Formats: sequence, C-alpha cells, structure tokens
Amino acid sequence: MIPAVEFQSVSRHFGATRAVDAVDLTIAEGAFFAMLGPSGSGKTTCLRLISGFEQPTSGTIRIFGADVSNTAPHLRHVNTVFQDYALFPHMTVRDNVAYGLMVKGMGRAQRYAKAEEMLALVHLDSYGNRKPAQLSGGQRQRVALARALVNEPRVLLLDEPLGALDLKLREAMQDELKSLQRRLGITFVFVTHDQSEALSMADSLAVFNDGRIAQIGTPAEIYAHPKTRFVADFVGSSNLLPPALTQSLGGPARWSSLRPEALHPSGTGPITGTVTALRYLGSGNRVTLTTQGQTIAALLPATDAPEIGSTLTLTFAPTALHVMDEA
Amino acid sequence: MTSAVRPTRTLADRLTTIFWRKPGLLLLLLITPPLLWLGVVYLGSLAALLLQSFYSIDEFSGLVVREFTLKTYAELLRPSNYDVILRTLAMAIAVTAASAIAAFPIAYYAARYARGRWKAAFYLGIMLPLWSSYLVKVYAWKLILAKEGILTWAATATHTGWLIDAALQLPGIGGNSLSTSYIGTFLVFTYVWLPYMILPMQASLERVPTTMLEASADLGATAAQTFRTVTLPLALPGIIAGSIFTFSLTLGDYIIPSIIGTSASFIGMAVYQLQGTAGNVPLAAAFAVVPIVIMLIYLTLARKAGAFDAL
Repeated sequence: MIPAVEFQSVSRHFGATRAVDAVDLTIAEGAFFAMLGPSGSGKTTCLRLISGFEQPTSGTIRIFGADVSNTAPHLRHVNTVFQDYALFPHMTVRDNVAYGLMVKGMGRAQRYAKAEEMLALVHLDSYGNRKPAQLSGGQRQRVALARALVNEPRVLLLDEPLGALDLKLREAMQDELKSLQRRLGITFVFVTHDQSEALSMADSLAVFNDGRIAQIGTPAEIYAHPKTRFVADFVGSSNLLPPALTQSLGGPARWSSLRPEALHPSGTGPITGTVTALRYLGSGNRVTLTTQGQTIAALLPATDAPEIGSTLTLTFAPTALHVMDEA
Repeated sequence: MTSAVRPTRTLADRLTTIFWRKPGLLLLLLITPPLLWLGVVYLGSLAALLLQSFYSIDEFSGLVVREFTLKTYAELLRPSNYDVILRTLAMAIAVTAASAIAAFPIAYYAARYARGRWKAAFYLGIMLPLWSSYLVKVYAWKLILAKEGILTWAATATHTGWLIDAALQLPGIGGNSLSTSYIGTFLVFTYVWLPYMILPMQASLERVPTTMLEASADLGATAAQTFRTVTLPLALPGIIAGSIFTFSLTLGDYIIPSIIGTSASFIGMAVYQLQGTAGNVPLAAAFAVVPIVIMLIYLTLARKAGAFDAL
C-alpha cells in the first residue's frame, strides 16, 4: 500500500537553526497520526512541510506516492485546520465552508448544498448565516473542520486542534474527532504538545525532539517501551533511574524507567525511602519519596495517605522496570 | 500591629480617591475641552458656513442679503460653476484611484515583509516628505515638470521625449508642458497625498493574519483569488480611510491647481476667489458645502457596498 505521507531524510533549516533535521517518516493511509513534542521540536514545521507552507531545505516529501517538493499549497490534496482556525471574518459560516468549492468555480446552489452537508456533519446545521464572530470557540473549531473537509482532502492536517478549548470541550472534541476520522476514513495528522491528547487520540505517533524524531510507534508501545530518557520523561510521567539504581533493583547497568502507577506499598520491597511530598489528585495520591539520593514518585490509592517524613516501602512487578536502549 | 489602611496624606491621595469612587468624573474632565473645541469652534463654524450658503448676494450693490433662499445653490448649476465642480470631482477620483494603486504594493510590502530596521526606514520614507513645507514641494515639482525641467531633460537624454510629447498631445488633459497641463496637476496631487493613502492601508493590511492567507491557499485558491476574496475585503476599511484623505484633500485644495496646471478653476480656488476679491461669501459657502456633500454620498455608497463590514 502506498503510504499517505512519506518523508525521506527531510530537513528544514532556518539559517543556523535546524527546525527539522533529516527526518524519515511514513504515515499509513487511514491513520490517525500524532506528532508530539515540546515547542520548538519541529513538529509544526513538519506539518507545514506537508501542507506546503514550508519548503524542505533538502530531502523528498511524497503524498500518496507523488513528489510534492515543487507543488504549491493550493495544488495539494491536503487541507489544514489551523490553530487559530483562520476563519474569514467578513464571510458567513456558510461562505467560509463553501470557500474551497467557490475558488474551484462550483455554482452557488451546488456549493451551498455541500456546505450545509458539511455543517450537518459537525452538528452546526442551523449556523450557516452567522458570522464567525458570533460563534463560541468550540463552534469556530467545527466550522474550521467543516471548511477543511469540504474539499474531500486525502490527508487532513490539524495544528494543535484542541489547544484553545477548555477541558470539558476538549474531551468531547477528542471523541468526536476520533469518530469523524473513523467514519470518513481520511488520514488525519495532528500536532500537539499534550502527551495525553496524543496517547488518547492517535493510533500511531511520532515523538519529536530537537528537530528529530525520537521514537515512532503506537501509543501503547511508546508508553510502555520508551527508547530514550526524553521519550520516557515527555510521554506520561516517569521515574528515570540511573544505571546504578537500575542495577540495585535487579536490572542491568543502564538507564531505566519506572511508571509511578506501577509502584505499590508493601511490607517488604526493593525501594524504601522517606516521604517528602504528597499531592491529592482526587483519583489518588501522588507520593514523592527519597531513596539513595534519588526522588521517586508513586501513584497510590486515595485511601493511602502516608505522613510526610514517614518511611515507606514500595514494590513493583519485575516487568514494570523498563530498561532503555540508551546507555 | 500596623493598620490595613494608609492615612490619606496628600492632595493627590484625595484626588485619586475621588476619581476611584467616581470613574466618570475623570473621563468628563478629560473629554470636556476637546468636546468644546469640536462642538463649538469646529461644528459651530461649519453651521455658520451652512447658514451663509442659504443667503444670497444682491447683484447691484454687492451686499449680502440675509434672507433664506436657494438661489445661491441654483447658481452652482450655472455651466461655468458646474464645470468647476465636475473638473474637481474628476481630478479627485483620478488622484484617489492612482494613489490607491501606487500605495498598495508599498503598504503590502511594509505590512508583510518589512521588519525591524526596514520597517523604521519605511515609516521614515513615508513621513519625511510630510515634514517639509507643502509649498516648497509644489514649487519643486513646478521646476521638475517645466519644459526646461529635469524630466524633459532626462527624457531627451534617454530618447524617450516622444513619450512626454505623446502624453501632452492627449486631448483634454494635455497641454504645452507638463507643468501647465492637467497631467501635471494630477501628478503633483498624487505625489503630495500618497502618504495619506499608504499609512491607513498599511495599518489595515497589518491586521490581516498570515494564517488567513495560508487558509485561503490551503483551500485551493490561487494568489489572485486570495487577493480578491480575502486580502482586499479585509484591507478595504483602510483603503476607504486612505481614500477619504486623498479624495477630500484634493476636493478642497486650491494651491496646487493655482501653481501647476492650466489655471482652470477648482472648487478650492473658486472658494478662495469668491470670498476674497469677489466678496461673494454666500456662493463661496455654497461651493464649500459641495465637497462635504460629495464625501457624504461617497461614504454612504462605500457603506452600502460593505466596505466597513470587516471593521
């Protein structure tokens, strides 16, 4: 099968800054793909390379097999939902959604019918006559989505799609985007700095760091088997254990990661330390303890609230200690 | 124990407390003087002008008859006066259109690409001509455009003199030399008012987010389509603001057409002559009302066309 998007050692340099540095990437057709990373890691530049708003300094980008290195944005079968939505303020919602069809020369009746169809898809049936300024943030996002989908793109790009929404709306939108993607069968590529968003929405993701891809895989692979300290630390929260500590816990002399939720209090165990902090999270307590000069976080049930300063012993299943490739 | 409240010591403390309790008071103090200026001095004199235009002049005695009449306005329709209005209007339209076309690339460059030092250079370049005297600039242009001036000299030296000759042969707007033709008047008007078009245009273009243009391209629009359907409508309030300047300044000016051009009268010149040497203040007032009416019509049409929808 031809991949939807393919990067072959693609670089994008801005002067001395290597925003994207020799990236190889393959996104399968029909995937819900996340590009995750802190700000300045090159994920947004990668998205803009796919849409055509950036041109690679070197390397080849293919979309469904076609080399698009010399193709202007308006000639690509790719559409974008912008972070700030970029709705045209002087047009009605209907004209915004129908814009892509209008510039292709489709007649008014036909394109309005199609626009209404798209608005129905995002549950904004009766909002066609409004101006973007009369909509809430969540509604604007839906209009941006409908506007990008009206052209029937083969790849839909979403730049921090949930960044501007409040928590409740964000969770509802996550489910909706997922079901929309499943129904339409279009390849979705989205950029986010929020690891929980990437884990919960994507079926495949790339973790970016310093212009390079640190790891590619399914959310479960990346969470359970982070290859580098950066990935272990950035995706979820993790205890990073230096080689000496790993060895004392029965592992090889290498860096390892231990997830806080893998630790349980017990009478005897390999980790004994002094509780230095406790945070109540509602669903549980996050306890920080110090052992052998190292701080370790553990997620305990809400009923388990040790006193600060007390001694706590923790245990974990042997498979929970993940030794990383990195020395 | 220290108290939670500091004692009120100075007059400033007391005044600040009063303004804090009654925020409207400070606003009132601040806007009363400019409001008086605008209301009494400016609008008052405008009302006086309007009133004068409804008086007439006794043709034998040359005295102003202080009785309400529309006779003076009817005089505007006399061919000699009507020509003045049409000539001024045509010139204002031509100057505004030329300014808009010439200003757009400059404003676009400044808004989209100029950064830091280049932006400062842009502002300086636009503002610098406004710092020198208007009269000096107009007389300088008279020399540039004169038959013996640098423009003709340069054209002859580069064997493009026929271009100027061809322009001067044009019926209606041609003439003996550039400095004594309508073309000259038009060139100088456009030069002098151009900054007033560039600045508001640049400000409005600056407010068009880059992502808006990217969104348009992303949806399949060509550069020309993006310009027509996104950039232009969003920049329109700025273009209208600029055209208000170029249009009304051209409508009211009397110095440029009296120094450069065919010495045919424009509205400003007519007002100047009528209220001065001729002593016909009512007709001068009626003439002065014409640009106001034209501007009101222009703004109404612009609003109807949706020029302010993106404000």
